[in-house]
Amino acid sequence: MHTLRQLSALIRLSLYDLYRRKDLVIVTILAVVVLVPMSFATPFGIKGASRYLNEISLLLVWLFVLVIAMTRTARIIPTEIDSRTIYPLLAKPASRTVILLGRYAGVLIASLSVLLLFYGLYALINTMKSAFFPWEVFIQALLLHISFVILVTALALLGSLFFNSDANLSVSGILIAGMILYGQQLPVLAAEHSLPIRAILHILYWLAPHCELFDMRTRLIHHWPAIPWLACFCIFLYALAYAAFCFGIATWLFNRKKV
Amino acid sequence: MSSVITIDHVSKSYGTCNAVSDLTLSLHAGEILGFLGANGAGKTTTIKMLLGFFSPDSGQISLFGHNPSDASTRQRVGFMPETAYYYPYLNIRELLSFYGGLCGMSSSLIRQRSEDLIARTGLDHAKKRLLKTYSKGMLQRAGIAQALLHDPDLLILDEPFTGLDPLARIQLRDLILELKTKGKTILFSSHELSEAELMCDRVAIMKNGKLVLAKPVKEVVCDGNTNLERIFLNVLQAP
Ligand SMILES: Nc1ncnc2c1ncn2[C@@H]1O[C@H](COP(=O)(O)OP(=O)(O)OP(=O)(O)O)[C@@H](O)[C@H]1O
Ligand SMILES: [Mg+2]
Repeated sequence: MHTLRQLSALIRLSLYDLYRRKDLVIVTILAVVVLVPMSFATPFGIKGASRYLNEISLLLVWLFVLVIAMTRTARIIPTEIDSRTIYPLLAKPASRTVILLGRYAGVLIASLSVLLLFYGLYALINTMKSAFFPWEVFIQALLLHISFVILVTALALLGSLFFNSDANLSVSGILIAGMILYGQQLPVLAAEHSLPIRAILHILYWLAPHCELFDMRTRLIHHWPAIPWLACFCIFLYALAYAAFCFGIATWLFNRKKV
Repeated sequence: MSSVITIDHVSKSYGTCNAVSDLTLSLHAGEILGFLGANGAGKTTTIKMLLGFFSPDSGQISLFGHNPSDASTRQRVGFMPETAYYYPYLNIRELLSFYGGLCGMSSSLIRQRSEDLIARTGLDHAKKRLLKTYSKGMLQRAGIAQALLHDPDLLILDEPFTGLDPLARIQLRDLILELKTKGKTILFSSHELSEAELMCDRVAIMKNGKLVLAKPVKEVVCDGNTNLERIFLNVLQAP
């Protein structure tokens, strides 16, 4: 009961923060205003062009949600410390683990709400535009995107206890982009190199988050068949486990942090 | 009498700076202690260790016989930091509701306590405004309200009088004395020697991280010619 009240207070604080700062709300509205007319358009009446627009809107949604979720998570703890609100916070009878979990959950809930809004709009527009909509792939894409957000925010949270906000966002950004582009090629690359580099690439392959697993945009746009549900759940579990691992280390660090 | 705060041979340094050296001090239930000393004497560092923000390099600290870094120990402690910074995007009600939630209070209890404290700290007229529009003294009042919200048995106030207007100062003094009659224990650090003289049972004076005087106020100012200010200067100027 006690811990639940604490968590709900912390989640509400994160939501107030995102809501009152207005920028999240404004950017969301802007994104909707840009995305909706774009998705409705069928330039020159060509079906391929409409798919192309869908692709751009999904890419924008990916980037937008990624940036919002990561910057917000990366700022939670540094802002508490810089603005010195950490002192009255830590003086309250809540453990640091609960504080970190509650604040993180709040940002995650806000980011996932924005994600759901965009996916809802995407489904709405596309069901209105054409008779066929690939619901199964759509739900898989949504589930994997949610998994992706959980994973990258946990990574940003962990980074925020090592680096300052800017360095954290750069490092996690490079890691995520690098893994999306080259994640699957790492073993091949490793085979081409000699020992020290090969070992580093292998370690990277096993330790870095496999962000390339979560992107189902192409399948969704081109109406390709769904992936096996077992694979989908395994990827989901992978994201949860990876996030739990990052959160565990973050908690361990936060509990030892001198303020 | 039972000891609420026990500080036993505590030292803490930041790199080469000895912020607190071999401090031993205790505080009994129902007592008001004025924690005095020049800038940089080690008052805030001691208070941070009392709240479990970090552990001493050596020595032991306990609150109500327990380790201050256990969350449950802090259930009985109210703290007001020396710099009044609170979430600028909340209003005072939301702030108190947040802190009340962290203390595990029910929403009806939070509502009742916060209305009472908002009125007592004179923030009634500004309760709908966001904290970012508050003046320094108003934030300080918000700090008092949040420290008292969960009706703690021990209050640790770091320079509570800073930035308060004369009326608010008198109200805070009355509030602290009222809390004492209810059996609460209070430690406050301050540069306001006259306030300390009026309110405290005991004063402790720190100099360069060391405790140089800890005595009941009555003993310090027993002879009609001395006041706390003179004692303070004598102690600090002594080689
Ligand atoms: N984070 C820190 N890093 C390095 N030195 C610090 C840090 N915090 C405090 N100090 C040093 O420790 C000493 C004690 O500081 P502290 O804040 O406890 O003093 P204080 O008695 O509260 O002073 P004031 O009356 O100005 O608030 C000072 O010399 C200060 O410079
Ligand atoms: Mg201080």
